[in-house]
Amino acid sequence: MAETRFYDEELKAAFPLIVQDEAAKGEFSHFLVPKDLLPAITHHLHTQPSLHGRLTLLWAVDNRPIRDTYGLHYLFTLESSHHWVVLSAELAGDDRLFPSITPHVHAAKWYEREIRDMFGLIPQGHPDLRRLIRHEHWPKGAHPLKKDFPWDRVLGRQQGEHHFRHIEGEGVFEVPVGPIHAGIIESGHFRFSVAGEPIMQLELHHFWKHRGVEKLFEQQELIAAVALAERVSGDTTVGHSLAYCQAVEALLHLNVPRRGRYLRSLFLELERLHNHLGDVGAICNDTAYALPHAHCGRMKEQIMQLNDRLTGSRFLRGVNRVGGVTVDLTGVQLAEIVAELDRIEKDFSELETIIGSNASLIDRLETAGVLTERTAWDHAVVGVVGRASGLDQDLRRDRPFAAYDELRVRVVTYRYGDVRARMRVRMDEIHESMRLVREVSVKIPQGPVAVEPSRRPKAGEWTLSTVEGWRGEIVYMVMAGENGNIHRCKVRDPSFVNWPAIQWAVLGNIIPDFPLINKSFSLSYAGNDL
Amino acid sequence: MFRILKKSLKTGVVTGQHPVAAPLVEASTSEAKHKAKPFRSSLAFRAVDTGSCNACEMEMNALANPVYDIERFGIHIAASPRHADALVVTGPVTVNMERALKDVYKHTPDPKIVIALGDCAINCGMFKGSYAVTGPVERHIPIDVRIPGCPPRPSEILTALTELRKAGN
Repeated sequence: MAETRFYDEELKAAFPLIVQDEAAKGEFSHFLVPKDLLPAITHHLHTQPSLHGRLTLLWAVDNRPIRDTYGLHYLFTLESSHHWVVLSAELAGDDRLFPSITPHVHAAKWYEREIRDMFGLIPQGHPDLRRLIRHEHWPKGAHPLKKDFPWDRVLGRQQGEHHFRHIEGEGVFEVPVGPIHAGIIESGHFRFSVAGEPIMQLELHHFWKHRGVEKLFEQQELIAAVALAERVSGDTTVGHSLAYCQAVEALLHLNVPRRGRYLRSLFLELERLHNHLGDVGAICNDTAYALPHAHCGRMKEQIMQLNDRLTGSRFLRGVNRVGGVTVDLTGVQLAEIVAELDRIEKDFSELETIIGSNASLIDRLETAGVLTERTAWDHAVVGVVGRASGLDQDLRRDRPFAAYDELRVRVVTYRYGDVRARMRVRMDEIHESMRLVREVSVKIPQGPVAVEPSRRPKAGEWTLSTVEGWRGEIVYMVMAGENGNIHRCKVRDPSFVNWPAIQWAVLGNIIPDFPLINKSFSLSYAGNDL
Repeated sequence: MFRILKKSLKTGVVTGQHPVAAPLVEASTSEAKHKAKPFRSSLAFRAVDTGSCNACEMEMNALANPVYDIERFGIHIAASPRHADALVVTGPVTVNMERALKDVYKHTPDPKIVIALGDCAINCGMFKGSYAVTGPVERHIPIDVRIPGCPPRPSEILTALTELRKAGN
C-alpha cells in the first residue's frame, strides 16, 4: 500500500489540478480530472518508466437520470506493481467533445471510436473517425447507449458504404474476405491489399454480430444477468460469467465461501483446457496436418463430455451465480476429473512429441505472423497472444481472483511472437491447467459453495472486475441503477484489444498463411462485437 | 512414422463414443423430409452465423471431430453457398448481418433446405427485442427444420439431421 501512495503522490505532484477520490482507495486509485488534461496525464501514465501504465479499459457512462452528465473513465494497469489507476472526467450540459488520447496511447483507438458510435461523444483529434460498430447503413444520430435511446427501437436504414483505406499502384489489388467465411467461423470482414503474394495491408471491418449486449444488460437486474454474461462469447462462458459475478459481488459486499472460489477456479481451468486443446489441433489443421486435429478434437470432446457429466452443460453454463456456484462436486467426482485429466495429459504428451518432431509443420509455424513485443505493448495486447510476444502478464498471478491467491500459477511466456510461440504457450498452459486442477482437488476445503445476496447497492455505485479467461484478460465494469437494476455494464473481451494487433502481425506474410495466423490468435467475434 | 501408427493403434476407434441424445422434441415435418429427399445420401451444408454467441459454431465444429464424424453419414460442410444443399443458420440475425443472410439465401441453388440451429435462430433467445436484432431467421428467409437448444448438443444435431434424411413417404 505504501508503494501505491508513492504513485498517487507522484501523479498529484505532476498534475496539481487533479483531485483524488479517497473513497476508492482500496481497490484502485481514482482521480477526477479536468477533460483538457486527459492527453497529458494519460501520456505520462503510459510512458513514464516508473509507472508503465497499460490502458486496460476506456468506457463512458450516460449518468442520466442521476446527473445530467456523461462520464469518461480510463483504467490503467501499472505494469510494475499491477496497481490500477482510474481517471474520470465529466462532460456537463451540452458538451459532446472530449480530447482524444489516441495520438499518445495507441490502444485507445477502438475504444474512442466505440464511444463515439454508442454515445455520440466526439473524440477530438482522433486520427480515424470512421464508424466502427454502427455500420454505414445505420441512420444518423442513432447512439444506442444514450439513456434516451429505447433499447427496443427499430433501426431504420440509410444508404452508405464503408470506406476502406486503399493502397494504389501497379500490381496492387484488394482481396475481400467475409463476412461469411468458408469454414464454420463467425462473421467478420477482412480486406487485404496485396502486391503478388505478400500482404501489404490488412484492414478489419468487424461488428457484424453486434447484438446490443451492453444495452440488454441495462434492462436486467443485477443478480439475474448472469445468463446474458454467459452468452457474450459462448466459448468463454465461465470466464465472462465469473467476471460479471465478481463485479456484482463487490457491489453487494458478498464474500464467496472458499469452496465456491475453488470450484470457480476448477471450472475456469476446465474451460481453458477444452479451448486450448481445440486450438492446438486447429492450428495444425490450418497447415493441412489433420492428424493432431483429429486427436485434439477427440481430447477436447472428452473434456466437454466430462463438463456435461459434472454440470449438465458442455459449456459449463449455469455454473456461476452471484454469491458462488450452483454446483457442488463430490469427492468421487473430483477423483473422476483428476483420473480423466491424467489420461488426457499422457495422451496429449504423446501427441506433443509427434507434433514437435514434424519438421515441415514447425517450419511452417516458425516466423509466421510475428507480433513483436513493442507492437503488442502499443496495442495493450493481453492473454495468450501477449505472453507469446514476451509480455509477462497473467491475472491469475498478478491480481488473484477466485482461489488463485492460494494456488500458485506458473506463467508461460515466449519471446518470438510467431505462430509457434502462440501454440507453445497453449501447450504449456494445458499442462499447467491440469496441474492446477489436481492442486484444487487436493486443497479444496469443505463448506458451503455460495452465499445469498442481501444488500441492495445505491444507484450510481460502480466497480471493476477482471478474470484471466482462456483468451486473456476479461474486464467488466458494472454500475448499479435504481431498484437493483443495472445502470451500465461495460464488457471487454480480450478479443477487442487483440483484434487490431492482428493487422500488424500479418504484414509481409502471404495470404494463405492468414488463416493460420488468425487461428493462432483465436479471437472471438461475438465477444468483440457485443 | 512408427510413433504416429502406434498412437493411432493405441487410440483405436472412438467414433460413436458419446452419450445418446435425448429424443427430439421437435421432429422434422413431413414437408421438410420431402424437401430433403434429393439429399438423402449426400448433403452439403453451409454454416451462416448471423450473430450467435459462437457456442453453436463450436458444437457444429465438434460434429466434424472423430467422435461424431458427420462425414460418415454423407454430410459435409461446403465452402460456399453456391455448393450447398442446405443452410444452417445460427444467431438472432443482427441488423448488420441481415443483408448478408438474404444474399446467401439467394446465392444457394434450389432446391435447398434451411435449418435454424439453436434457440437464437428460432426465437432470438436472450437477444429478443434488442435494437440491433431484426430476427428471428424466419422473418427473413423460410425455415424448414428447427433444432432447439442453447446450444444443442452435437448428438442432438446429428439425430435431427439423421431424422430429416430418413426414408419416408
